[in-house]
Amino acid sequence: MEDAMGIAVLQVGIPLALLLLGYFVGGAVERRHYASIQERELRWRSLPAVNFRTVPGGWIVDDATLVLGNVVISVDYFKRFLAGLRMLFGGRVKVYESLMDRARREALVRLKVETVERGYHALVNVRMETSQLASGRGGSGVAGIEVLAYGTALKLRTPPT
Amino acid sequence: MHSFGVPSWRDHDLTFDPSLPTEGINVSRVHPLREALILVFGVIGVTVATVASIGFVVDWVAPSIPPKYEVYLFSDWFEAEEPAAAPKPRAEALRAVLDRVSVHWPDSEYRFRVQIWDQAEPNALALPGGTIAVTEGLLDAVTSENELAFVLGHELGHFHNRDHLRGLGRGVGMSLVLFAVGIGGGGGAAQLAAIAGQLTQRGFDRDQESAADEFGLGLVAAEYGHTAGASDLFEHLRATSDASALASYLSTHPLHGDRVIRLEAVARAAGWPLTGERSALGSKLEAPSDPSSETEPAADPVSTE
Ligand SMILES: [Zn+2]
Repeated sequence: MEDAMGIAVLQVGIPLALLLLGYFVGGAVERRHYASIQERELRWRSLPAVNFRTVPGGWIVDDATLVLGNVVISVDYFKRFLAGLRMLFGGRVKVYESLMDRARREALVRLKVETVERGYHALVNVRMETSQLASGRGGSGVAGIEVLAYGTALKLRTPPT
Repeated sequence: MHSFGVPSWRDHDLTFDPSLPTEGINVSRVHPLREALILVFGVIGVTVATVASIGFVVDWVAPSIPPKYEVYLFSDWFEAEEPAAAPKPRAEALRAVLDRVSVHWPDSEYRFRVQIWDQAEPNALALPGGTIAVTEGLLDAVTSENELAFVLGHELGHFHNRDHLRGLGRGVGMSLVLFAVGIGGGGGAAQLAAIAGQLTQRGFDRDQESAADEFGLGLVAAEYGHTAGASDLFEHLRATSDASALASYLSTHPLHGDRVIRLEAVARAAGWPLTGERSALGSKLEAPSDPSSETEPAADPVSTE
């Protein structure tokens, strides 16, 4: 009887603790990340980053190179749990939308930072790739997502002011 | 607005003054707890409905399966049981009480056997196939033949109601449901479904226990002409055990207190006298007088599985 109680407490308690951890800690992490993303988006807003495949007419380009911005974000247990339930019924996996949104925007911000730090002035042909990192446990679960943003950084004869 | 005809920055056809991303377009503005509530209750609802449907179908089908087939189905389950450690006279006396009770279920297709297990916890089990196992601890705890007869009658009730078969059927159904949920929604969804499913199963388990109680009480009333003593064991155990409210809710068997009240209600409804003289156990069944062999009653005295 006491054993059965103990097992019941473990069976309910551990997932519940993980859910609470995911909801509160994961939620706080997400809010902080969004604040950081918005702040840096504002800071690097004026750096041109477009997905034109060619150099815009009139630009005099002295140098060009491939630059990469990459991020991996993990899923908390709360999101993973809800996504699992959602998989049963179908429909929009709303809890993963913010995850993807953060990853895309973080990758783009990093791409811009990389461009500036290496002394380039603008980005063209910006592309994005997403991949899912499988978890160690048999590779079935989702450990996190990776977003890679890449583009061609240009050094201009007359840098924008 | 920009003109995108020929991209040209230096010519000022294309200005770089991009706005910031708009929040709430790529991310749905739904509170995650709202999403969680909808999904969790959805999964619980589907699981409870499925497990309960399987339970009702199993309860409907089980009585039409002959006991012979049930014995065959479970034949290799309990072969490795410990042999009866009790001295023969005690087993024979137990057998005699069982015969006295089971004679009131004349159309039984089972061939009943008894086993005494050398365990201090008072417990009795109906093993699939027709064997009733009783622990030494239970034999030490009972104080009258009526008390023991009801315990045996309850186990006979499990055979009468085909509870092993129904339990097996529900277990298989539950496994299938959890397997499907696990495939569809992963480990977390399966855990949630397991909790919802187990709580649903408990409803069936409790009904099963109540039905076995009613059957056992009927046998006791038929043999002794009254139901006095039937619930004595639960009164003893209630006085010593301190099962918390949660423990009793999660336990397979109804609360001892509830059980006593229920038994009285059943007897009253059937018109069986509640009082009468309790029959003595007889020297072969009585607990040894050695005080060192006193037992501590467990919280869960009578189980079927
Ligand atoms: Zn029972």
